[in-house]
Amino acid sequence: MYPFQFESAASEQDAIALLGANPDARFLAGGTTLVDLMKHDVERPARVVDINQLSLTTVEEIDGGGLRIGAMVRNSDLANHPLVRERYPVLSQALLAGASPQLRNMATTGGNLLQRARCQYFRDVANACNKREPGSGCSALHGINRIHAVLGTSEQCIATHPSDMAVALAALDAIVRVRGAGGERTIPLVDFHLMPHDRPDRETRLEHGELIVSVDVPPLPFAKRSLYIKVRDRASYAFTLASAAVALDVRDGVIRAARIALGGVATKPWRVPDAESALENTSADGAAFGRAAELALSGAVAREHNAFKIELAKRTLIRALTRAAAIA
Amino acid sequence: MHDLRTAGATPPFPAAPPPPTAGDPAPDFELVANGTATRLSSLRGSPVVLVLHNPEWDPARREQIDAFNRLLASLPAAAEQRLITVGAAHPWLELEFDTSRVALPVIRDDDGSIAQAYGVHDTPAVFVIDERGIVRWTHMGRTPPREGDIIAALTSFAARDEPRSSSWNRREFIATVLGVAASLTISPRLAVAERIAAASTAPGAARAVTLNVNGRQLRLTLEPRVSLLDALREYAGLTGTKKGCDHGQCGACTVHVDGRRTLSCLTFAMMHEGQQITTIEGLAASAGTSGNTLHPMQQAFIKHDGFQCGYCTPGQIMSASAMIHEPWGAADSDVREAMSGNICRCGAYPGIVAAIQEVRANAADGEHGQ
Repeated sequence: MYPFQFESAASEQDAIALLGANPDARFLAGGTTLVDLMKHDVERPARVVDINQLSLTTVEEIDGGGLRIGAMVRNSDLANHPLVRERYPVLSQALLAGASPQLRNMATTGGNLLQRARCQYFRDVANACNKREPGSGCSALHGINRIHAVLGTSEQCIATHPSDMAVALAALDAIVRVRGAGGERTIPLVDFHLMPHDRPDRETRLEHGELIVSVDVPPLPFAKRSLYIKVRDRASYAFTLASAAVALDVRDGVIRAARIALGGVATKPWRVPDAESALENTSADGAAFGRAAELALSGAVAREHNAFKIELAKRTLIRALTRAAAIA
Repeated sequence: MHDLRTAGATPPFPAAPPPPTAGDPAPDFELVANGTATRLSSLRGSPVVLVLHNPEWDPARREQIDAFNRLLASLPAAAEQRLITVGAAHPWLELEFDTSRVALPVIRDDDGSIAQAYGVHDTPAVFVIDERGIVRWTHMGRTPPREGDIIAALTSFAARDEPRSSSWNRREFIATVLGVAASLTISPRLAVAERIAAASTAPGAARAVTLNVNGRQLRLTLEPRVSLLDALREYAGLTGTKKGCDHGQCGACTVHVDGRRTLSCLTFAMMHEGQQITTIEGLAASAGTSGNTLHPMQQAFIKHDGFQCGYCTPGQIMSASAMIHEPWGAADSDVREAMSGNICRCGAYPGIVAAIQEVRANAADGEHGQ
């Protein structure tokens, strides 16, 4: 690992100043992505700003039923928080489907949003990767691209976004609160991550020196009827091949509202508004779910090894909707 | 006061004296430990083990720490013990054990004058000096001395003078470890100075880090890039925690940080000052067991054959012993999910699940007062 300067931030202002002063600085929260990538020389920060002393560790109620999740709340604590389990089971399930218990004890809410691609070509500096080194090309386009994205891709990058948590948060209309030297602003989670287009190295709307301080989840009463289904190569502890976060408002067998986001198949947490509106005011049955799944994957583009993901994602979504509709 | 040959360290390369042998007075020199200057001669009343070594014989490495720990442990009833390490170009190591009060403050021999006074140039050397400042035993050569020989030397002059023997045992035992890089003793001093300057200003330079590991305060000198795993294994000599993948994928490095299971390979040691770190070495004590009694999870792993080669086992047991305090369901499948972050290539999973289920059942019985 390349040497770096280690700074420990005592306050949010301190953290923002320490990061802003060095263009090659990175925040260090749980470390589960950053330390790993530093060992691979994919990340080579000149300065690391440890933010583990910051008190962004609480989950608070806001807006009559919503939650404000501190950026430093650990994934395991969030998954097991009583209010999360009660009001947003999809979020708890997505968190528990991700990584391992040890990693969830370390990983933070803010860091989870910023975790980086699991594309094997991104993680190996011997390969071409526009995300890691803009302009170097993309080894995945004609390489082993079984785990890669079918939605939101470009000719520069087809890496999926690896987070499960962010897929649930996308379905829940979460808002990311960030603070920088100029003050605070909010970014809807569905806009927080960027599609690769011709700049896959730009992954989020976060500016250098901005710190995620919380993720706010607005109230959504029917999110009690929500769930997350994740399909992967192993029974546990593997990244997503296809996943679906869904919440359904079903009354008398008719869907009044739906929230759907897909994971493992897209370059960012993939909300599908077309599929949601197609479900509204239809009966909650297999035919409707099938139509929604077709719409959700309608723009999918397969590469050599990942065409199976299109069908897998449809079936995953149909199963998720079927189960959500069955929740009493 | 006798020999002050090292004082001042004037001409660049004075003719080196031969090394002192048994019966010679030990050359005196100034020690600067933790910012406090003293002289070797002021330590009269305690025996001193003086070790001069080159980088291959580095007290910051676990073999030397293990050796010194065994050495100290074998000395009878040392009420207050101190180890002093002397670094050449950079501080080596500080260890402070609450229980035995062993510390390794850093002393420097930047210009090599101490090594020169002892006639040591490019091979490790050990001098056992008695409580009156007389050299009693020496060892020079590439092969590290056997600690048994050092102990024998110490006990021989202690036993020889029976009325005094109990006194030095109760007084400070001081082992002075001099780090003198072979290259430094034969290089111009300027090069040494440059290296020191470079080390102290470079990004990522080492600094003192205090870790609480298994209830003991360990003062280590670490670069920021040293993972908690490497700090435990390579600097603190606690090799029970294993390095498997080193990328957070196998769980072999699992330790407890403030009671939570954590992957020590994916976190920097510097991030954990002020936290309680428990490794497999301290697990039994953390559960309140005493003596040689194993933690219930360790006993259950043995009983249920929860391992074959044993490499993943410390991580499995640390993970399992934390998992039983987490909110998981009662089924075997819940245990498998909860333990999914610990990989076992031998496939000892059935025994691991059985061990964990037994400990959980016993804990539940205990809670119900049965």
